[in-house]
Amino acid sequence: MERPPVSPPVNRPPVPPLVKNLEFKIGLLLAATVLLAVAFVVYALFARGAFQATQTLLLTAPEAEGVTIGMPMTFSGFPIGEVKRMDLSEDGKVLIEIAVVQADARWLRKTSVFTLEKPMVGAAKIKAYTADLKDQPLEDGARRELLTGDATKEIPVLVEKVKTILANVEAMTAGDAPINQTLGNVATVTGRMAGDYGVMEGVLGSPDKAKEVVDALRNANTLLANLNGVSLKVDGILAKTDREVFAADGVLPQARQAVAQVNAILTDARDSLKKVDAILANVQTASADAARITGNVSQATTDMARLRVEIDDSVRKVNHLINEINKMWPFARDVEIKTP
Amino acid sequence: MITRVQWLADDAERRALIAAHPESILVSPDMPLRANLSVLDNIAVIPQYRSNLAYDPAADQAWALLGRVDMTGMAFKRDPDLSHDERFVAKLLRAAIARPPVILVDRPGMLLPDCHHPPRVAALLERLADLLNDCWILDYTWNAPLYPHR
Amino acid sequence: MAFLTDFLTRRGAYLLATWRIWRDTARFAGRAFVTAATPSAYNSATRGVVMKQIYFTAVQILPGFTLFAALLSFVLIQIVVGTAGEFGLSEYALEVSMRLLVLELLPLVTALFVALRSGSAINTEVALMKIHGEIEAMEDAGVDTLRLEFMPRVIGGMISVLALTAVTSVLALALAYLAVYGPQWWSLPDFNRVMGKVFDTPVLFGILFKSLAFGLAVTVIPVSEGLATPRKLFMAPISVLRGMVRLFFALMLIEVAFLAVNYI
Repeated sequence: MERPPVSPPVNRPPVPPLVKNLEFKIGLLLAATVLLAVAFVVYALFARGAFQATQTLLLTAPEAEGVTIGMPMTFSGFPIGEVKRMDLSEDGKVLIEIAVVQADARWLRKTSVFTLEKPMVGAAKIKAYTADLKDQPLEDGARRELLTGDATKEIPVLVEKVKTILANVEAMTAGDAPINQTLGNVATVTGRMAGDYGVMEGVLGSPDKAKEVVDALRNANTLLANLNGVSLKVDGILAKTDREVFAADGVLPQARQAVAQVNAILTDARDSLKKVDAILANVQTASADAARITGNVSQATTDMARLRVEIDDSVRKVNHLINEINKMWPFARDVEIKTP
Repeated sequence: MITRVQWLADDAERRALIAAHPESILVSPDMPLRANLSVLDNIAVIPQYRSNLAYDPAADQAWALLGRVDMTGMAFKRDPDLSHDERFVAKLLRAAIARPPVILVDRPGMLLPDCHHPPRVAALLERLADLLNDCWILDYTWNAPLYPHR
Repeated sequence: MAFLTDFLTRRGAYLLATWRIWRDTARFAGRAFVTAATPSAYNSATRGVVMKQIYFTAVQILPGFTLFAALLSFVLIQIVVGTAGEFGLSEYALEVSMRLLVLELLPLVTALFVALRSGSAINTEVALMKIHGEIEAMEDAGVDTLRLEFMPRVIGGMISVLALTAVTSVLALALAYLAVYGPQWWSLPDFNRVMGKVFDTPVLFGILFKSLAFGLAVTVIPVSEGLATPRKLFMAPISVLRGMVRLFFALMLIEVAFLAVNYI
């Protein structure tokens, strides 16, 4: 198997290269790729602040809802730091650690205030406010309280609820609402009936029917009296709410409770008014009957007159209640309950 | 170098013989050249790969082999542009450069259809004699009259 | 009944064949990896093939493809920035366009382009090599074709996809800056902040893995499909067709998997 080496070549012509400078081109591409990749990674690290000096700021808050790691903290709308981590402290409060870029730390002073704002729509925001930029700078590792806008967030919801209730009341007392129509009918009947109980009995054809009407009216009366009481209560509660919510030393949780009560009372009122509505619808039927039976009545009963006075009174009270509410919440609306 | 002709009765016998010599390298119509490489590169790639040679020394070896058989003119041609004779030479050199213990020239009549092949093959092997180990020519018995020195 | 049996048999055979080809693909990928990880597998011949592969897959198309990618990026960034501005979401425009382009679209478009151009070429070449018996001839001459022909193609394809993705992505970053802030330097801190938000460590690794997976698919699937071609010339187009369809599904699968990992 011993073989002499292959004899040396005789002028092997240069191989015509498939591609000129193939090695160089490939090398260039590879170098460019590696360079780009490394530069990109370094840039990404830089962009994420890996090479930026930061100082820590600890914020304590009663709850961390809406706060996420990486969330920016803004000053005048500019991000100057971000949430690095969150923890529960010994006393059950949330400890939020924020890394503030050293270069931007000069916007934070000893007297700076930090707030967590949770808008109805969108993500929560941590904002820093500095009133006095000449104050001492905030030290590294400072611990501050994160103020949350708890009180304000409930009021809009309540206002919305009250608005709905008032819309209901308004609908019931509108010109074409059953309550008004009924009162109109009642007026007609009373105009026609000038006599006493006997007359009504005569009008209705039987004492039973007359009694039925009178009972219904009595019921209505009672209910209106109730409504009266309710509106008085509402008045009282509103006055109280007024005091508690808007007084300088008012306690907000109490205010919330009071408003919830108002809410309940108003729901009651709405229910009562619905009942009145139903009863009055009955009365309407009855009086329609009455109108059919006798075309010619000249005297209203004293009961009817009293009823009308009482209804007027109640309606005034409701009006008053609405006015009161209007005064307290700034959503003025022309609400007036009129009796014909 | 021992050159001999293996007389075969049929295709089955041929296949059996080839299978029995896995260490051999075949010069066969069934073993084409690499189509996207020139003849030179086809030959050079073997030492490049097997001996981890750089391209230039490998190509020098290939060029030297081509010079021995006076066929350097086809060095930069690719397979489709070769004549039957050129293709045969290229395949033979590709086998020779690997220096296997045995080279099997499979059915030379099919590899060289355009000439009287036994003297041609003999002349080529003569020129490469000092580089080759054994070389067996596989041919069918009915082609025996073509061979002058029985 | 016979019809049903026949039908089921055929479906079953088809399913088995599908499974087999994917298995072969995975096996080939594994062998290519092992070979690629063996330093002694590299010599002047394999290096030559790697370089040729990179040249034909990346260098040759670099100017044209970069131009196309720049155009695509620019138009898309403009659309995103414009639309976001209309809806009052300008602050998200940069982030959205970067996520869209650099994380998703550019790697995918690059992989698709390389698949169309080089993947189909590799598939055809390997199928023809297989059909003509060139692979057999090389093996007979003592050359390991996996080492000489196929592993370098896989390496070259992966490097090419990575290189093209890197070039086009960085270009897209620059274009995004220009589109959003205009030709000035002062908004760099703002830009950096958004980039820092988009490209965190998992995302960077994600892009790298995705590009590597794309590069792997773009070469491994055509090669294995070509190697699975029966030695009949009329099977060459069918082999390329199958390879391309499988490659398309593989690319989409990788993309969907990446999206799922990133956003779910």
